[in-house]
Amino acid sequence: MTARKTPPAVRLESITKRFGDVVANDDVDFTLERGSIHALLGENGSGKTTLMSVLYGLYDQDEGTISVDGKPRTFDSPRDAMRAGVGMIHQHFQLVKPMTVLQNIVLGHEPTDNGLVDESAARAEIEEICSRYDFDVDQYLDTPVEELDLGAQQRVEIIKSLYRGAEILILDEPTAVLTPQEVERLMDVMNDLREDGHSLIFISHKLDEALTIADEITVLRDGEAIDTVRAEETTEQDLARMMVGREVLFDRLERETVPGEPALEVDGLRMHGDRGQEQVSSVDFTVREGEILGIAGVQGNGQSELVEGITGLRSVASGSVRFRGSDITGTSRRDRIEDGIAYIPEDRQTEGLVQEYSLVRNALLGNQTIEPYANGGMLDWTAVRDHAEEIIQEFDVHPPDADAGATSLSGGNQQKFIVGREIGHDPDVMVASHPTRGVDIGSIEFIHNRLIELRAEGLAIVVVSSKLEEIQKLADRIAVMYEGEFIDVVDPETVTEEELGLLMTGQRLEDEEGTGESESDRGVQA
Amino acid sequence: MSGDDDGLRGALDRAAAYMLDATVLERIGIAIASTALALCIGLLIVAAAGHNPLLFANQLVIGSFGSERAVARTLTFSVLFVLAGIAVAIAFRAGVFNIGVQGQFIVGGFATVASIVSLAPYLPDGTVGGIVLMLVGTLAAVVAGGLYAALPGVLKAYGDANEIITTIMLNFIAIGFVGWLVAGRFSDPEATATRTERLPDNVGFPSVVFDDPNLSIVGIGATIAVVALIAVIMTRTSFGYDMVTSGHQESAATYSGVDAKRMIVSTMTLSGMVAGLTGAIFAIMIQGYFTDPSGIGNYGFDAIAVSLLAANNPVGVVPAGLLFGGLESAGSHIQINSDVPVQLIDGIVGLVVLFVAVPELFRMMAQRTGLGGDRE
Repeated sequence: MTARKTPPAVRLESITKRFGDVVANDDVDFTLERGSIHALLGENGSGKTTLMSVLYGLYDQDEGTISVDGKPRTFDSPRDAMRAGVGMIHQHFQLVKPMTVLQNIVLGHEPTDNGLVDESAARAEIEEICSRYDFDVDQYLDTPVEELDLGAQQRVEIIKSLYRGAEILILDEPTAVLTPQEVERLMDVMNDLREDGHSLIFISHKLDEALTIADEITVLRDGEAIDTVRAEETTEQDLARMMVGREVLFDRLERETVPGEPALEVDGLRMHGDRGQEQVSSVDFTVREGEILGIAGVQGNGQSELVEGITGLRSVASGSVRFRGSDITGTSRRDRIEDGIAYIPEDRQTEGLVQEYSLVRNALLGNQTIEPYANGGMLDWTAVRDHAEEIIQEFDVHPPDADAGATSLSGGNQQKFIVGREIGHDPDVMVASHPTRGVDIGSIEFIHNRLIELRAEGLAIVVVSSKLEEIQKLADRIAVMYEGEFIDVVDPETVTEEELGLLMTGQRLEDEEGTGESESDRGVQA
Repeated sequence: MSGDDDGLRGALDRAAAYMLDATVLERIGIAIASTALALCIGLLIVAAAGHNPLLFANQLVIGSFGSERAVARTLTFSVLFVLAGIAVAIAFRAGVFNIGVQGQFIVGGFATVASIVSLAPYLPDGTVGGIVLMLVGTLAAVVAGGLYAALPGVLKAYGDANEIITTIMLNFIAIGFVGWLVAGRFSDPEATATRTERLPDNVGFPSVVFDDPNLSIVGIGATIAVVALIAVIMTRTSFGYDMVTSGHQESAATYSGVDAKRMIVSTMTLSGMVAGLTGAIFAIMIQGYFTDPSGIGNYGFDAIAVSLLAANNPVGVVPAGLLFGGLESAGSHIQINSDVPVQLIDGIVGLVVLFVAVPELFRMMAQRTGLGGDRE
């Protein structure tokens, strides 16, 4: 980008926003040039979303000014922001799931013909937008939103904003829920939008994505804007240092190989999904003590069901699950918790924590039948409180207040608390489902290190993740799951990200038979 | 729709956010203010209907706690409201909507009378026999109420049948079936009204404190014991944690090892057991026989409002039950001692119920629908 004569699309000057005593944004300046992509990078709780909510009219700033296209503005509500051409794509989509794509897009802005919704006009306009940006959304305008995958739902959200005339788009962590392929597709869409003259703000905590797509990057830390840099003039290391405030290591974690006894054996497992369709088809694997099995795959290929089958949350159709030699296929979730199978759940908001409970009460979740917290059915709240305080201290949970509500914690801190609680079970097997999804870099590093430590202590660990670098960093073996099967089991040291990407889309590696074979020899059938 | 925040939604959001953030003290304050406001509006209506509102207010006070008799009557009703309120609170806290407390109460009360009347000939007269009969009768009520509630629980857990609908239907079945037994097989041929035989003379709680035949220290004691027991179960046991967690967030409860289906059945059963016990106390302490259930007061329905007013907290059910007991007691006093029509009194009581229940109901709805913004 060169120096421009047109005023910037957005200019935030000296924005300060306080919540009680907490300063969420401290004197932040931010400029979005017209026709560019500006990444807003920062850990969870660094103030990115707050800053954008100020711009989008969700919050009033305490100090500072907003101008859009050179004109000073005050937005009292998102509706005002929308009128000024600012649209926001939220991390949690604002779609009415049972309604069709078309209905969702026009909702509240329906073109009318004599008081009736003019569906054909709406259809024509949406198709026009789709063809301009090469979107496939027009293919499924009459499909209920709930039947679309998350990537497609996100494109619906983007079209919704464009339909309302948004020139400036705020994308709040848009890649958090997407598969690598979908991320690539989103990047293409963002490029097209930029070329068409739209200005985009890309909120993220993923360094590589920011570097790939953005023209400029602003890093926030603890509510302050640390620096704004041009993407081509910086590196991941620099950005990470700015975000975390210290050096961060990215390499594969060192480990010694200490293969022990088989702790978890899964044999011929078949499972059905919620609608009765087969989601897991004949999966076999063994995880030994002191070993991490990584399960990679595009979401929806049976990983969730497989994990529920291991942890006892879903019954299996056929096959068996063995824990330290004994068959646990038919045992309840509670039995398996008591046996020593810990589980970091896929969804910390709905499963891992009770949102309305304090951390003390959450520390009991899953422990309610385990000594010393429970004895003969009676609870010992003092022991539970001690446990909560232990977790907070050992896992550096902020705020360090056992009586704080779960909702007052950022995603990273919630996750650290859950990891701490699950490790506290003193388990033999740990199943970690997307252990660092939506978690900031500092916490990711921490959680990864803890998992590697547990491995050294002789735990058998299963890590399911859609983040390839995470799987490659942690796993001793990577199983790639596609349509309910392990399509291959590969060595993380030699496999490339491209190869994993291919496997995840169901294409076998023809020229590299060796990778799969050698793994099979180690006792795993792909 | 984030882009479509309009005034109404915004106002609702702010109200919901306020209710969700309200402390316990604020919520108690809201309940008291609601009651006061409802009574004020009630008095306006009384005035509009051509009666003296001051006289009415005076009668309200006298009728609820103006004399020893009034206090005893208030406490008698309160025992029923508190116990039935606890039954409702158990289910609501676990996220199960037991609207069938009335039916379970009727089935329980009748089971008490039926078992005592059937067994009495085989047991000796006198205190010992009476105590055995009362224990058996109470046990029968608890079992009958529990089973009658377990049925919709099973239907919900394993048949996906909405418990609100099934429990409401079971209320009608209870009224019809028990009514048929009271009028037929168990009817007292010598009585003019439709009712069962009287319980034997050795069955009945001693009054001890108030000289009122309908109120006994045993009933009050049992009520306090049930409140304490349920409060302890909810806050200090694994089962209670499972139950309350299921009510807050079922997916998290399942994750933590709770069997959701079994929990629904257990919750309904426990709720029905307390409802059955309420029926036993109603039969032994108050009636001394069992009448046609279509004529029995709607304690099981009013208990829903009692529980909501108490935010489904078992300890909070006590003051809420006392309020309802007082209103009921005042209502029966006013009905006899003034010319205000009974419909108007019922209407004013209904107004209080509406006013005190709505804020809590709104709060519960906000919690479930995510009104009040992102709670993060």
